[in-house]
Amino acid sequence: MFAWFRTDIIAEYFPLFLQGLWTTLELTAVGILFGTLLGLLLGLGKIAMVERGPWKWPVRFFIKLPSQIYIGFFRGTPLFVQILLIHFALVPLLIHPEDGLLISGDTALYLKREYGAFISGALALSLNSAAYIAEIFRAGIQSIDRGQFEAARSLGLNYFHTMKSIIIPQAFRRMLPPLGNEAITLLKDSSLVSAIGLAELAYAARTAAGAYARYWEPYLFISLIYLVITLCMSYVVHVLERKYKNA
Amino acid sequence: MKRWALLLCLFALGCTKKSDSVKSEATMQSKPAALVVGTDAAYAPFEIENADKTISGFDIDIIKAVAEKAKLDIEIVNTPWEGLFTQLESGDRDILISAITINDDRKKVMEFSEPYFEAVQLIAVPNTSKVAKYNDLKKLKVGVQTGTTGDEVASRLLGKTNPNVKRFESTPLALQELLNGGVDAVIADNGVVNNFLKNNAQGFKTISDTSFSKEYYGIAVQKGNLDLLKKINEGLAAIKADGTYDRIYKSYFGEKK
Repeated sequence: MFAWFRTDIIAEYFPLFLQGLWTTLELTAVGILFGTLLGLLLGLGKIAMVERGPWKWPVRFFIKLPSQIYIGFFRGTPLFVQILLIHFALVPLLIHPEDGLLISGDTALYLKREYGAFISGALALSLNSAAYIAEIFRAGIQSIDRGQFEAARSLGLNYFHTMKSIIIPQAFRRMLPPLGNEAITLLKDSSLVSAIGLAELAYAARTAAGAYARYWEPYLFISLIYLVITLCMSYVVHVLERKYKNA
Repeated sequence: MKRWALLLCLFALGCTKKSDSVKSEATMQSKPAALVVGTDAAYAPFEIENADKTISGFDIDIIKAVAEKAKLDIEIVNTPWEGLFTQLESGDRDILISAITINDDRKKVMEFSEPYFEAVQLIAVPNTSKVAKYNDLKKLKVGVQTGTTGDEVASRLLGKTNPNVKRFESTPLALQELLNGGVDAVIADNGVVNNFLKNNAQGFKTISDTSFSKEYYGIAVQKGNLDLLKKINEGLAAIKADGTYDRIYKSYFGEKK
């Protein structure tokens, strides 16, 4: 029945698929890690507010507004466009052998050659997911009754202590399902990075398809791999949810 | 039961609709209609779709000149590469011109005109690079466009699954990566590489290696349509003879070497 399915194509390109799988997992892990850290800061930044006193305006202009603009930009433009923009415009501006603003000279050449596409891809995915994760944090924090915050403050805890010990632990439970969702989305979106020549899963499939002009085998094969990983991820989220249910 | 009947009715309706449209197409064809030329207009400078949706480029100028000489009425339609050959086979397109390399596999399913363009693979490297020939690329990172001759050439030297072969969706993207220092070299068709150089002041140098076999682009028609093929070949010979071809060539690629 599956005689038309040419397994020899998969076999021939197997090393590339394997390497692609590894790169995809690395990209996703980096994206989730940095996206979560940056997302937490941005989420807090977006709801930061000082009602009176000398900090009222500085907080609004230098914390709240930049966070809002950042989240607006990264949620409001396509990831594909962000990847191309970062790889072909932003990163060459920062890291360039001749006149990089951040790094130049031989270090820049080495970085571009060895890790150029990975740096750009990981950067784009981190920055993009941070915007979505910021919104998840914001929604999670705002879903906690304001009384909790007021009670903690009246017990003498300061803002950061209140957030750290009272609000975020409660909010985390509610944030778990959307965070799991975001992780799965990130894994799938990492396929877009193949556009800048990074050898991840979709790149491996595109290469095999390009060589044989056959589309079923490579793309069906990577679909299966993506599916297996996303199922594993949703299982982990499910286990975590159960763990924190009674916490 | 009722739902099934309804579905059946809809299906029948659909079928009749379809046969109607087939009929109308057939009646349309009985009139002398323009020949439909298929081209994948995403391959500068051979075929480009302009901002106003018109298609231009070297191939387009050539086919228009050929059609004029051969007194053929043509209409150019942008057709994605993936479906190009099947659409010729099914008769949706009468002529193809799209930087199509003449090879034996393709000759089995279509007829090719005399070659109208000679393509060679070029190696593009930074001006300061020490690369002088194909074999120097062995340990380097080489950018190519997926599935092109450049891809095959690079894969042959470095191995199909070698991570040092960096595949991009288009040749210009690979060349941009070369400018940014992400790859050491790019292997691609001369026409596209030279066009990129023309549009990017910050340049690189190109090397041609004699070990690369030459390829020829041809105009394709349906298998067995020898009448049309003859007219196209006559048109092609006519524009080569009266200097039209050279004029078009020069406007895209500069003086012929």
